[in-house]
Amino acid sequence: MSHSKLRKTVSYIVMTISSLIMLLPFLSTVFNSLKTYAQFTSIPPKWIPNPVQWSNYSEVWKLGPFSQYISNSAIVTVLSVIGGLLSCSMVAYAFARIEFPFRNTLFMVVLGTMMIPAVVLIIPQFVIFQNLAMLDTLTPLWLIEWLAQPFGIFLMRQAFLAIPKDYEESAKLDGCNPFQIYWRIFIPMCKPTFATLAVFTFMTKWNEILSPAIFLTSKENYTLPIGILSLGGQYNGSEQYVVAAALLSLIPILLVFLFAEKYFVQGSNSAGVK
Amino acid sequence: MKHLAFKRGALILAVLLFSSILLSACSSSDKEKEVTPSGEAVQEQVELRLGYYSSAQTDAKMQELVKKFQDSHPNIKVKTESSPYGQFFQKLDTQIAAGNAPDVWLSDGVLVPKYAERGALKDLTDLIGKDLKHDEYYGLDFNKDTNGKYWGVPQGIQIGVLYYNKDMFDAAKVAYPTTDWTWDDLKAAAEKLTLDSNGKYATDAAFDGKKVKEYGLTFFSITEGWMPVLKSFGGGVLDPTLQKSIINSPENKKALDWIVDGMNRHLFPTPADLKSFQSNMAPFPSKAAAMRIGIYARTMDANNAGLNYDVTLLPKGPDGKRFSPVIANSWVINKKAENQVGDAAWEWVKFWATTDEAQKEWASLGEAVPVKKSVANSEQFLNGKPANKQAFLDSFEFAGTLDVNAVWSEWVGKFNESINRAFQGEIPADQALSTADKDVQQVLNEFYKK
Repeated sequence: MSHSKLRKTVSYIVMTISSLIMLLPFLSTVFNSLKTYAQFTSIPPKWIPNPVQWSNYSEVWKLGPFSQYISNSAIVTVLSVIGGLLSCSMVAYAFARIEFPFRNTLFMVVLGTMMIPAVVLIIPQFVIFQNLAMLDTLTPLWLIEWLAQPFGIFLMRQAFLAIPKDYEESAKLDGCNPFQIYWRIFIPMCKPTFATLAVFTFMTKWNEILSPAIFLTSKENYTLPIGILSLGGQYNGSEQYVVAAALLSLIPILLVFLFAEKYFVQGSNSAGVK
Repeated sequence: MKHLAFKRGALILAVLLFSSILLSACSSSDKEKEVTPSGEAVQEQVELRLGYYSSAQTDAKMQELVKKFQDSHPNIKVKTESSPYGQFFQKLDTQIAAGNAPDVWLSDGVLVPKYAERGALKDLTDLIGKDLKHDEYYGLDFNKDTNGKYWGVPQGIQIGVLYYNKDMFDAAKVAYPTTDWTWDDLKAAAEKLTLDSNGKYATDAAFDGKKVKEYGLTFFSITEGWMPVLKSFGGGVLDPTLQKSIINSPENKKALDWIVDGMNRHLFPTPADLKSFQSNMAPFPSKAAAMRIGIYARTMDANNAGLNYDVTLLPKGPDGKRFSPVIANSWVINKKAENQVGDAAWEWVKFWATTDEAQKEWASLGEAVPVKKSVANSEQFLNGKPANKQAFLDSFEFAGTLDVNAVWSEWVGKFNESINRAFQGEIPADQALSTADKDVQQVLNEFYKK
């Protein structure tokens, strides 16, 4: 009894300490966002801002059309998530369940494209979107996600492969065609994987820098990360504003995590059932 | 029943797809609207794509100036394309590769030859000769290549001087720097100014070099680091053709020994020491360094931090030679901008350089020394902090670029690799120089000797 109590106490202490260590950088970021420039650069660093510079946050709002940036980011992210889920799961379903020639070879090719770094693809993409007259619009940023990205295909295919064939066969007996099986059986059964892919896509698109930096030119089309970067100039750092803006941009991601957490847990639980 | 649900699913899908296509169509048709007005009624109208990097503060000022330009040039419609500094050049490289670069853009001074020698820029030699009087401007020649051609017109100029924190000099009872200083005078003062966390100066036997709280001089990379020292010691990196390395010279060895000695004695921070700061530029504004080799833009962070500081000329080398590093960020014109668009692009450059108002407005941001001499020498520029702004203007007499050529970023990277190892005491100075010489020459050969 006392032994297990001791073990519990020790593990709590260890966990508390390690979580404090994990929290430290985040806390220092929060403090940094509330400092004046002089405090921000002071040596030795002062942990606690004094006076607390709440105005950094309002200043950020004044320095650029941040509500515009946020709404641009939201449009791109939401459309990307929808497109990513639909396109990846459809392609994945085909790879997992439909027999067609060179299926495995094609799947290998798809996986192979994951190895190509984004910077290498950016010039051809730029030329394509230029010819489609889509530069300096938000379209290329989310359209690409509607064309099924390899990571999502891989993730969804693995989830679909885990579904026993019996479900499919009984659905077939009931008269379902492949699309119906995909829509009515596979999607509902893989909700946790969908949630995982949604969160991944959300985070990637919300934080994306390279593509928006290359495709967008007008300020009113900037997404949030580009807006945040534009607070610092070539010589003038204004780092405290950049930190404050970066913290603001974290809020939606935290919300998504809180919301999707139960699906993550559910995903790992259901792995052992049936 | 099943059939109905399936239909509903398909319907949702269809609506989503349709709405997304609609959205994309809307956004692209907006764009077309901007392009179409070049119809019959407004034949003279020219659309000029103007690219520049900016921060939130500078962008507002730039927009103001663009508006003034359009007011005085009603036939030109400017379409601005701005990005944060780092992203701007990333995008520019993509745009150039895709043949879609802006008609006129702001280039970092050190990147002008990169674009010029790769054939992306228009030769401005004749236009400058026709429209700009050489004596009226600072730094036109900083964009002149080895064949005497001009590739850009400075937008604003960065020039190096010696910054010093008066409070720290007073506390250490050291006399302020003078224009007679040599680099050795600077080091002697730095020794009296370098302070450890126990309150002992570097002149004290009990000084602990591992716990420096305030450095005598902060020192970082090329512009605000080794280049002014190498050049005033009579050395340098490239010969006048800018295609051959002259790194392995006795002058450079002397200069490097001078720097390494300062770092060994902990009077200047090593590259590793700088890592403990918020940024490489932080030591001076955060009062962790009494002096810095600084360009004009550094007055902004010093002023923001409320320092009691001033500036003077950079010290002389052993033979009395001075050198002040210059970066002339410049307007350059796309080689493809021809006829009306090319004329409009030049109008913008001319507006920027020749109009007093544009020059004054831009100078008010405090980012750069104005290009037009009459404005730079006016009260408007010279007033304010630091008191001795004249030092920036006086430095033009012995100013030079950073041996800028088409592969500048590449060779600076190679040079820093070796030299930083010498600064950290990992390899001796002569080894660093001979390695750097080999590496830099290889970079040059790869580009120039095809």
